[in-house]
Amino acid sequence: MLEKEEKLLTEKCLQMAADAGADKARASLSKNVMSIVSTLDGEVDKVTSCLDRSITLNLFVDGRYGSFSTNKLDADSLRSFIGRAVETTRMLAPDPCRDLPSPSRTAKDAVSGNELGICDPAWNTVTPEQRIAFALNNSVSRQAGRAPLTKFFERASCVAVARQRSNSGPGESGGWKLISEEGEYSDSEYWNYVVDSQGTKVLHSETSFEYFTELTIQDSRGRKYSGGWWEASPLLKDFHPERVAPAALEEAVMQIGPKRCRSGKYRAVIDSEVSQKVLNPILNALNAFNIQQKNSFLTDALGKQVFPAGLDIMDIPRTPGEACGKMFDSEGVATSNHYIVKDGVVQEFFVNTYMANKLGIAPTIEDATRPFVPRFGSAGTARQDIMAFCGDGILITDFCGGNSNPATGDFSYAIQGYRFKGGKIVHPVREMLITGNIVDLWSRLLAAGSDARRCRAKLTPTLAFDDVDFSG
Amino acid sequence: MKTQNDYLAHFGVTPGQLEALVAEGLRSGGNWCDLFFEDTSYSELVLRDGEVSSGGSHIDYGCGIRVLSGEKTGYGYAESTDYAALLSAARSASAIALSSVARNGLASNHLPETPLQAEPQRHFQQSADNQTFTRHRLYYDQQQDWRACAASTFVPVLRKLESLIRAKDSSVHKVIAMLGHQVSEIMMYNSLGELTFDTRPVGGITVTVIFVRGGRTEMNNASRSFRAGAEMITDSLLEELATMVTKGMDERFEAKRPKGGQMPVVMAAGASGILLHEAMGHAFEADFNRKGQSIFADKMGKRVAHKGINIIDDATIPGNRGSVNVDDEGVPGQKTYMVEDGILRSYLHDRISAAHYGVAPTGNGRRESFRYNPIPRMRCTYMESGPDGTCEDLIASVGKGIFVDQFSNGEVKIGEGDFTFYVKSGRLIENGRLTMPVKDINIVGNGPRALADIVAVAGDLKIDDSTWTCGKEQSALVSCGIPSVLVKSLTVGGE
Repeated sequence: MLEKEEKLLTEKCLQMAADAGADKARASLSKNVMSIVSTLDGEVDKVTSCLDRSITLNLFVDGRYGSFSTNKLDADSLRSFIGRAVETTRMLAPDPCRDLPSPSRTAKDAVSGNELGICDPAWNTVTPEQRIAFALNNSVSRQAGRAPLTKFFERASCVAVARQRSNSGPGESGGWKLISEEGEYSDSEYWNYVVDSQGTKVLHSETSFEYFTELTIQDSRGRKYSGGWWEASPLLKDFHPERVAPAALEEAVMQIGPKRCRSGKYRAVIDSEVSQKVLNPILNALNAFNIQQKNSFLTDALGKQVFPAGLDIMDIPRTPGEACGKMFDSEGVATSNHYIVKDGVVQEFFVNTYMANKLGIAPTIEDATRPFVPRFGSAGTARQDIMAFCGDGILITDFCGGNSNPATGDFSYAIQGYRFKGGKIVHPVREMLITGNIVDLWSRLLAAGSDARRCRAKLTPTLAFDDVDFSG
Repeated sequence: MKTQNDYLAHFGVTPGQLEALVAEGLRSGGNWCDLFFEDTSYSELVLRDGEVSSGGSHIDYGCGIRVLSGEKTGYGYAESTDYAALLSAARSASAIALSSVARNGLASNHLPETPLQAEPQRHFQQSADNQTFTRHRLYYDQQQDWRACAASTFVPVLRKLESLIRAKDSSVHKVIAMLGHQVSEIMMYNSLGELTFDTRPVGGITVTVIFVRGGRTEMNNASRSFRAGAEMITDSLLEELATMVTKGMDERFEAKRPKGGQMPVVMAAGASGILLHEAMGHAFEADFNRKGQSIFADKMGKRVAHKGINIIDDATIPGNRGSVNVDDEGVPGQKTYMVEDGILRSYLHDRISAAHYGVAPTGNGRRESFRYNPIPRMRCTYMESGPDGTCEDLIASVGKGIFVDQFSNGEVKIGEGDFTFYVKSGRLIENGRLTMPVKDINIVGNGPRALADIVAVAGDLKIDDSTWTCGKEQSALVSCGIPSVLVKSLTVGGE
């Protein structure tokens, strides 16, 4: 809960800033209360209790701008801190482009903090004992108990395929082993209260329930494989931690028996869990800061057909009941559900007040809050449909490092995944890389499914691209 | 030089309160409790579009309280050192003992006593009052305290840096330069009665430059960071940064992606040390080994590299970004040989893993802030110079391969040992000579195999002083270094 005193203290910061000589100011209070129970091999390993509060101040002083934050929130410390912050701001060069957003653009409908219905009152009812129960009861190794390893591994539906592929299996002497299972249950309540000297007052609150497991197993050759999965929900009633450990086990077992793949061009299917990796460079390139710095491969893209006809990319921050939505950005500017790319045409750059003034263009929103790629093509909605549509190729299930050049869009990413033929997985592949250019990659988009998990901040489904360069 | 009473006064706590907090933490049956007090001030200035028109400062203050019950951890923290808030954090942390008793029983899980008591007990009440802190060597200090310097002191520094950069290359389009500095006051107390304290400065300059030539755009960046005060800002440092960020841009504009595949790789001295950090260092961190997850978990005492290869993690390099006088569990900073003459000799330990293995902690227990419990982390990881001549000698020995000299980031999968790092620039090697410039490629490999495949080590060890930050669960300041090495075969991403 955000206490009335905490809101008042945040508002008082504006007066303290004015008293110290600031012309305008914005104060943003963040408060997060979190409990974490970590497990190792089905036993409690760590219990953590967190309460974080800090205030960030954006100060506008004599045409100059500075950004400051502190977690020393007693009134005397704050007054002293703000006084020094104003003095520091005065030492900087003037920047006439810095300003608060026009009051007409700030959110007027973020009053209770729970307009999106993602702050669950049930969070207050969760007891320490329940947290431990969530963490332990969903541990696969605890559930397995002293059962033979064969029984344990048989929980993975792919065990027969992996056994056949590697010509080995669990249970026999020198067979597969469970090395470790690390799990983590956490729940939190987060509050953000933003006020500015032009009268803006916006409030956001969100609860979260999360469970994560990482399993490490070892095959008969002593090679280790890890599989991880997580589930999260802002609402306790929609939280399904029981799905986590089986999915992590499935992922770990599925990787047994990897082979190298010949370098060349393949159809690439990128699993929805990781496909945001090829969306992020686009979102970064559309940020006005990068446009202004000429550090974007989409500098001249506004209003142009850069992506394939039929491709939409949206921002849907105001979808009730779903994680990571928000009614306003860090300036307090109201968000909206809208198109970023429509039918392949770039609809907007992400332009905050500063960049709008710098570039002499209209402000929009500072960034995509909850980007969403709708279904594209006729391949189907799920990963399996898309693999069947593609026939042969490489399924990418994880990225392991890599980078993209923000100025050119050239990228190189290490991947982990599976060779598939006739729409069916044949064997895992390791130590492979994909390289290319982001715009060129998206021009060869074959399909986008509709299987993005709603618990993710970025709703990217399984994607398929033609003729991707793989090296291995 | 500050004294222990200065630190106690800084955080507004008394020796009696520290003892009482530890007692509270252990009240439910834990067998170890430590307190970590932190007061961090961070400031930054940014030059953009020719002006230093953005800056700020940030304060992070609080205390983390950890209770161990065997190898299990209870952790709580307060963003205040008000005694009531600390007491509440101690009670939260003590819950681990209750859950351990309830679930497992404690008897067999207690930490062995030897490692935790390997050092003589130093109870602060046994020290002379206000005694100067002399327990550990000082690997860094501030001649000029960052906190005493006004922001205006550094505005001309960033302007000068931009001028130097523009003077070196007429194709410079934009310069973004950031000067950041941080000072942390740290005080620790534990259930052995040990009180330790440290003042940790770190400063750094990062510069990103956008070049435009003939309608084409390229970006380059460079950075330098040291554990030092404001005296680290010198004309020679600015000249070095300007040279680094403009060097090789002709080649960068010409550079292409090579044909990908497996090939020999010559890694230049310095930043190539990321190979050690990603491919080996993480797998040597003892928490991964304690849990059996590391690919090196069963390799202690075994040969993991060619004879003559020594790999070190070092907290004692004066002024180095990764150095610590004392780690975040109160253990003195030290130099740890992980691989000696090709044999795996030591993991990197915090107190929990050291107790697990029955060895002394290596001073690698580090944390991002008081909000986190310490875990084994690297400091400055490097390989000692070898006997195989110069970098040019290594290049001359390769018929067809690749030479890499600038990197931006890397990643590793601990269990599998598969690693990746991103190469910003390099060249093809053809018949022992450097030819076509290459850029924007990844190199991937497997840690143990890559380590075993280092077949030649030059005598030119160089520590890279860039702003390396490791992101294993928590962020930690680190650095790395390596002499030029030849790796027999790695996978290079390309067309």
